[in-house]
Amino acid sequence: MKKIMVGNHAVSWGVMLARAEVISAYPITPQTSIVEELSVLCADGRLKARFIPVESEHSAMACCIGASAAGVRTFTATSSQGLALMHEMLHWATGARLPVVMANVNRALGSPFNIWGEQSDSLAQRDTGWLQIYCESNQEVLDTVIQSFKIAEQVLLPVMLVLDAFILSHTAEPVDIPDQKLADEFLPPFRPDLRLNAKDPHIFGCLAPPEYLMEFRYKIQQAMLQSKEICRKVDEEFGQTFGRKYGVVEPYRCEGADLILVSAGSVTSTARVAVDALREKGRKVGLVKLRLFRPFPKEELLDIVGKADKIAVLDRNFSAGIGGIFAHEIRAAFCNERERPPIYSYITGLGGRDTTLQILNEVIYQTYERPKPEEQSVWVGLRS
Amino acid sequence: MREGYESTELMYSGHLACAGCGATIAMRYALKAMGDDTVIVLPACCWSIIGGPFPYAAVKVPLIHTAFETGASTASGVKAGLDMRGEPETTVAAWVGDGGTFDIGIQALSGAAERNDDIIYFCYDNEAYMNTGIQRSSATPWGTWTTTTPSNYPKGQPKKNMMEIMAAHRIPYAATCSVAFPEDMINKIQKAKSIRGTKFIHIFSPCPTGWKAPSSLAVKIARLAVHTKVFPLYEVEGGLRYHINLNPKNLPVDEYLRLQGRFNHLSDEDIQKIQESVDREWERLLKKALDTI
Amino acid sequence: MSKQIPLLREGEMPYQPISLASMEWNKTGSWRYLRPRFENKIPPCNEGCPAGQDIEGALVLIGKGRYLEAWDLFKEENPFPAVCGRVCYHPCESSCNRGDFDEPLSINALERFMADMASKHGRKPSLKKREKRPEKVAIIGSGPAGLTCAYHLVRMGYGATVFEALPVLGGMLRVGIPEYRLPKKILGEEIDQILELGVKVEVNARLGDGLSLDELKEYQAIFLALGNHRSRSLGISGEEARGVMSGVEFLKDVNLGKKVELGKRVAVIGGGNTAVDAARAALRLGAKPFILYRRTREEMPAFAGEVHEAEEEGIEISLLTSPVRVISQDGRVTQLECVKNRLGPPDEDGRRRPVEIKESNYTLEVDQIISAIGEEADLASLPKKLAVKDNTVPTDERGATKQTGVFAGGDITLQPHTVVHAIASGKRAAIFIDSHLRKQKWEGLFEALRVGEKGSLSMKRYLQDEKERVPLSGKTVLLKDLNLDYFEYKKRLKMPKAKASRRTGSFEEVTLGFNEETAVEEARRCFNCGVCNLCDNCYIFCPDVAVQKGKEGELNIIDYDHCKGCGICMEECPRDVIVMEVEGR
Repeated sequence: MKKIMVGNHAVSWGVMLARAEVISAYPITPQTSIVEELSVLCADGRLKARFIPVESEHSAMACCIGASAAGVRTFTATSSQGLALMHEMLHWATGARLPVVMANVNRALGSPFNIWGEQSDSLAQRDTGWLQIYCESNQEVLDTVIQSFKIAEQVLLPVMLVLDAFILSHTAEPVDIPDQKLADEFLPPFRPDLRLNAKDPHIFGCLAPPEYLMEFRYKIQQAMLQSKEICRKVDEEFGQTFGRKYGVVEPYRCEGADLILVSAGSVTSTARVAVDALREKGRKVGLVKLRLFRPFPKEELLDIVGKADKIAVLDRNFSAGIGGIFAHEIRAAFCNERERPPIYSYITGLGGRDTTLQILNEVIYQTYERPKPEEQSVWVGLRS
Repeated sequence: MREGYESTELMYSGHLACAGCGATIAMRYALKAMGDDTVIVLPACCWSIIGGPFPYAAVKVPLIHTAFETGASTASGVKAGLDMRGEPETTVAAWVGDGGTFDIGIQALSGAAERNDDIIYFCYDNEAYMNTGIQRSSATPWGTWTTTTPSNYPKGQPKKNMMEIMAAHRIPYAATCSVAFPEDMINKIQKAKSIRGTKFIHIFSPCPTGWKAPSSLAVKIARLAVHTKVFPLYEVEGGLRYHINLNPKNLPVDEYLRLQGRFNHLSDEDIQKIQESVDREWERLLKKALDTI
Repeated sequence: MSKQIPLLREGEMPYQPISLASMEWNKTGSWRYLRPRFENKIPPCNEGCPAGQDIEGALVLIGKGRYLEAWDLFKEENPFPAVCGRVCYHPCESSCNRGDFDEPLSINALERFMADMASKHGRKPSLKKREKRPEKVAIIGSGPAGLTCAYHLVRMGYGATVFEALPVLGGMLRVGIPEYRLPKKILGEEIDQILELGVKVEVNARLGDGLSLDELKEYQAIFLALGNHRSRSLGISGEEARGVMSGVEFLKDVNLGKKVELGKRVAVIGGGNTAVDAARAALRLGAKPFILYRRTREEMPAFAGEVHEAEEEGIEISLLTSPVRVISQDGRVTQLECVKNRLGPPDEDGRRRPVEIKESNYTLEVDQIISAIGEEADLASLPKKLAVKDNTVPTDERGATKQTGVFAGGDITLQPHTVVHAIASGKRAAIFIDSHLRKQKWEGLFEALRVGEKGSLSMKRYLQDEKERVPLSGKTVLLKDLNLDYFEYKKRLKMPKAKASRRTGSFEEVTLGFNEETAVEEARRCFNCGVCNLCDNCYIFCPDVAVQKGKEGELNIIDYDHCKGCGICMEECPRDVIVMEVEGR
């Protein structure tokens, strides 16, 4: 069934199809309509879940952890300040190996206040051990919600799916709502063996002394590494069930490309248009959409961009001192490779500033022009 | 066996508490009162250590460790989860120290109380951040020595009245307990168990280590606290109806203070001041109880 | 108990940190430097009873409604609970710690309750006994000392024969104490229970009057318990007139049922129990007696309760009054000249000497004078070897006299002249006669059998196998040793008495006794000083669950593997049963 819906509602409907059982969230622009729609769905009885209107995001994650430990499917959603507030509990959820799923609407972090799109908030959490999936369209958002639960419950690590503020969250697009029956087949109920159970009591999260903590961390590392394959498989399965799949990275017109753009999030759609236009003009430009960010899909990416002359990484985020984070991650991933392309790093569209076609063309032009990449990320569209 | 005491123990020996720890007596009786169909939510506090490291347990019921300020919120989540799993009869109890209740955890507690989430929230109060080394909390009484309020500059603020805060939330049930009165504690906890909504149990839990008292006096100090009116035993229903459970013997506060090294530096004027404030608070409580009748 | 889990490899670990076993393997007992131990100590009532009765044990049983078993417990030490429950001066009550807290237990009334109940149920004592032995012991005197000695000796297997000068058994219990204080029927029942054990008796057999110590050679040991039956003379002129009799004689006649002519105004001289008994008996016979005593009320040796009852019954007591001269007419008493005293400096027994106030003489019209200023023994018939002095037979701490095989006890020896001391001496003599006849060392027996530090001994312990005997604590528990937080004020339930107006008309018992409800309630006031009564405070308050319940009726058990030695059990034990000792390293 096709509906026109905003990205936030796509999240809510995905959660409903996934039959989440406990939802606890705290409103923050631009996430609010996720929570509002979920309240309506719960009140209507279309989603049989317990909705806990907590008093802060930190408590929201704590609630999810508690509920997940009790052995039910849990969900929350937040953005920037809220995500930052949850930071301590994000680590906790990972260490507790709980399959919590969260939708984060990418928004800039204050100070100063800015409610518009920027990827810095989710990327600042990249060390927490959460899987991160960056979505390009509202359809992908809804589909990724369902996939995220399946991945999380197999890997036993929490999963964060990410969508851009306003561009996705508040923009209506046509979305194909999957059939509930199919969704149920694809995603059976979550009933773990190990949970808070009075009939089989254990202590969860015991103090781990130095003799043990390294091994627990090692297990998380192993799980994270294995999760890439699981992400790919789940996506395949999703494709077979629902007819749509996305992959962990998606190449676009990279055959024979000498310059490949790397982007994540909604800017990818604009980049597709830019690539098409340039291809028309005869330029061998390609695009790689980075969908899975954690675990970092190094092999898949290298496969696509390894032979290119140059890659231009678009970052709608920044980390003071190192510049664009995606570029940083790619540099780190490729550093030991013999064959790797030079990595040109660009920062655009911070704080919701539009990344237009013009800006993308500027990026591509600059990449072609410069013989080698700048030390620091290049800030495009800055009024200096 | 004395009547009223279940012989089933839900707490193991071999735990890591200091000798004479009041918090372990409190946990022992809370578990007896609630029975084995209970889940404990345990944020950072002394009990995080007492419970034992991986892979061991000091209690026989399921328990989840959680971050310091999340006692009430995690408990709310656990309760919701268990309800959705079709196990609504399981008691979910947050077991939190005074730090995690009065200070860092007060937001989560207030949130859960406002939502009237169906949990029993236990605050076992040893009047300082004992686990991290006896630093002051807002539960530390006026004039007390702690490592962050040294003797020549002891705590200058009175103890936060948590019961009043919880009463203001109009939760169905709030009560004070003392480890010296285990039958009273069991009765109140069982009463709390039978009520739906947020229940707050404030347990006075002496810490001989932090209060600089001999380990053998933990129970005696807890009893004197009640009889000197420093920590009266009472219940508040619906935030409005007060019942005092035990008529104190009206002993002078000095009898309670002088057993504890943390009060050694108090002058006679200080003790007088404490006596006056204890008397005033008692009068207020008495008035509320009388108004209830 | 769970085992410690050896260090796991990564592959063996669960994917999240969950508990796999309990902490019980962790023997936190290694932390302690003080170690608790249960040690039952001496309750002060047990120590205060000269007969060494297990009063605390009996009170526990009464409190549970098991008063017949409590009676059995008393009978192990003392064959006369019904008697003592009426006439004893109850030093146990003066020792009772509860007396320093609110009011002492009514132990005396409870002893009588037990005995009355046993009698009501027709219960016979079930006593520990030993095998028969060939030796025989002669006991001279069937008072409380003599009969108690006989009772214990037959339990130990000996033949015992009691020689009694009077035609009736019981000594002062029979002929000294009046019916309204100790009914003869009650006394008779207890004496019968002693005789039923196999004690032989010969009445009308007076030492020195057809019976001599030499004739008793067929007996391997002798116990002298003649008692003090001779009244001291007043030492005033005219006392040989008719109508002047001794209190002892008077009471004996009354108790043996003889008719006594008294007249109306009867002057009773003296301040002891005999004087008060004589006055109250005279009252019941229709006379108008009054008591004259030479010192003040505080110095009167009679039990304060008796004096009070006498006054309730309307008997006047003239204090600081001494008789000076008996005035008679035709050989019959008509008047008594008296003088008033004041108190001077103390006597050799510590009491202030009365000094006559000159010119304060006056005369009283009297029909009868009863002199009761003290009794003494008539020991003329005893052999010189016993070195009688001041009408007392010298004995050592065992009750042994200077003649081997001859022991003495009761009022003829140097000890307080009370029923319970007599009983205690009879029991003590039985123990040491036994050890003498077995030719065993006796010096260690005092230490092994003592109940406290005041000289009382336990027959129950004596009859136990040495291996069975529980080691004795050296400590008697005082009020300051108790944790008073666990005790509430509660009024003592007192022995009910008949109204004074009813009493004066008959010889019926003045004290009425507790009913079951009152007895159980009063017995439950007992603090159980120093003896564990399974209140379970130690179990309840242990922070380490290191005090576990023992078997039914037995002490709790301390789990030394886990006890951290915090001492809360010791502090919260209301009755000082737990001691903390430095852990041996």
